[in-house]
Amino acid sequence: MAAKKLRRAQLSQEMCERLSRYQITTCQDFLCLSLLELMKVTGQSYYEVQKLLCKVSRACAPTMQTAYEMKLRKSVNPSSAFLSTTLHSLDRVLHGGVPCGSLTEITSPPGCGKTQFCIMLSVLATLPVSMGGLDAAVIYIDTESAFSAERLIEIAANRFPAYFDSDEKLLCMTRSIHLYRELTCCSVLKRIMSLEEEIISKKVKLIIIDSVASVVRKEFDTKLQGNLAERSNFLTRGASVLKYLAEEFSIPV
Amino acid sequence: MQREVGTLPLAPALRARLAAAGFQTAQELLDTGPCGLSKEIGISREEALEALQVVRQECQGDAARTAGGSGATRKCTALELLEEEQTQGFIITFCSALDNILGGGVQLTKITEICGAPGVGKTQLCMQLAVDVQIPECFGGVAGEAVFIDTEGSFMVDRVVDIAAACVQHCHLIAEAQQEEDHRKALETFSLEDILSHIYYFRCRDYTELLAQVYLLPEFLSEHSKVRLVVIDGIAFPFRHDFEDLSLRTRLLNGLAQQLIIIANDHKAAVVLTNQMTTRIGQSQSTLVPALGESWGHAATVRLILHWDNSQRLATLYKSPSQKESTIAYHITCHGFRDVQPPAVTHCPEGAEPNPRKRPRTEEEKQ
Repeated sequence: MAAKKLRRAQLSQEMCERLSRYQITTCQDFLCLSLLELMKVTGQSYYEVQKLLCKVSRACAPTMQTAYEMKLRKSVNPSSAFLSTTLHSLDRVLHGGVPCGSLTEITSPPGCGKTQFCIMLSVLATLPVSMGGLDAAVIYIDTESAFSAERLIEIAANRFPAYFDSDEKLLCMTRSIHLYRELTCCSVLKRIMSLEEEIISKKVKLIIIDSVASVVRKEFDTKLQGNLAERSNFLTRGASVLKYLAEEFSIPV
Repeated sequence: MQREVGTLPLAPALRARLAAAGFQTAQELLDTGPCGLSKEIGISREEALEALQVVRQECQGDAARTAGGSGATRKCTALELLEEEQTQGFIITFCSALDNILGGGVQLTKITEICGAPGVGKTQLCMQLAVDVQIPECFGGVAGEAVFIDTEGSFMVDRVVDIAAACVQHCHLIAEAQQEEDHRKALETFSLEDILSHIYYFRCRDYTELLAQVYLLPEFLSEHSKVRLVVIDGIAFPFRHDFEDLSLRTRLLNGLAQQLIIIANDHKAAVVLTNQMTTRIGQSQSTLVPALGESWGHAATVRLILHWDNSQRLATLYKSPSQKESTIAYHITCHGFRDVQPPAVTHCPEGAEPNPRKRPRTEEEKQ
């Protein structure tokens, strides 16, 4: 939205040309200038500039929704609001399960079962909606090479023997879990950025990143001076892209 | 009328031409008329007419201001201000200790900043305030609507439903206890659906959308004149990452602060911002301080810092023009923000959260 070109914000052609001479081509550049600078750049009077500001703001401002509309949308499709973890006490505490449309973080000391939990969630997501799943594909970004396909099949076969009664079904399930092994921060970030198209093409409804901390700790030593800023930069950028994906597609991450 | 041409809000090119042609005061411009002006400077007649209209508007505005009428600059005596402040309502937070240190609650026409580490309850407090601003006047509320601008995506509708349901039930209890007619009438319009439909939610993904939204807010507030609370949840988030040019950031933040002050004053609304904490590394230790730097500290009138002390949540009033610095403890229950129960009260047999609703309200009922 920020990078929206001024042309599409319904400004007149000559105004856009004039602004591009000062290298102001996107809404972001326009809104970052103060009123006096805008007057100088556009050559318009104070009131005109205010009207232009409103026009450009309207082009990139978010749309309003009341909290009531949001609630209605959620209640219309209650099953799509959460991914149940099938652990009843956990679901109760989480008010229904892992929420769709927001980021959930799982932390623990090593060996407690984070990767096992992620593997189980992947299985759950591939189940049909009638069994509490999402009936969709899963994207699994693995940075520790801890994902074991054998374990995946073991969990599926033992947990839902009635459903996964044939090899056919197991194979189908494994085909819908897309595994990406990334070993550096840059590649993780690049992979996150490229996820949007994959989500649409493969009909993904769950993204798991296992784990963020390991790859960050490997590369950024916090005792060195400049690294703290770079590390938080990387983390916040990744977080905002993931939040955008989660909200846009209403899927749990 | 003697206003200099250079101070008029005309386009800079036009101003330069007027200066080159020798015009010095606005009166000269008006005397020349549009045709004369267009011939002297070499602009079209329509442009000249437009410029003259702007000049006339400005001069009328000036005259009105010097005559002591209402305008951009408001003059009033301190007595009038005192009366205004006393009749002004506060937005309560349902935690009486917090209301006490704030002097009654969140004040209208002021900017309140809530800082805290992640998970301490900033968004919870904002959601609580968005519900509390709608409490009808006969129950001690402000009867307004709320605008919620979310930059972090931490707004959960289900949680607002919980908080709103608890608030409605609380008002029902008071109405039953007091049995007054206007209480009953107010309750008819104070239901869950009404509360939710009066919270206007905007989701801003980055700082450009936030800037755009704040530019459009005055218009929105004029259309929805009942709005009494503007919450910006996470003003630090879009400005913290990916910003190489720190001076641009400071400039944008200052512009934002000024616009919010104008909005707060013009529309008699309270503005609540939430800020993140950052670590300042000193010589021997590191302390948590509010993010966005020292210059941002001047933007807010009232600053509240929420922090942990072992497992107890505390709120400290860090900056306020009228109240002194103090710290209180609070709780976040399934019903929202509440006081901490003193140990004398017995807990429910299942060991569930104690029901603190009666306690914070008794002071208000006596009013």
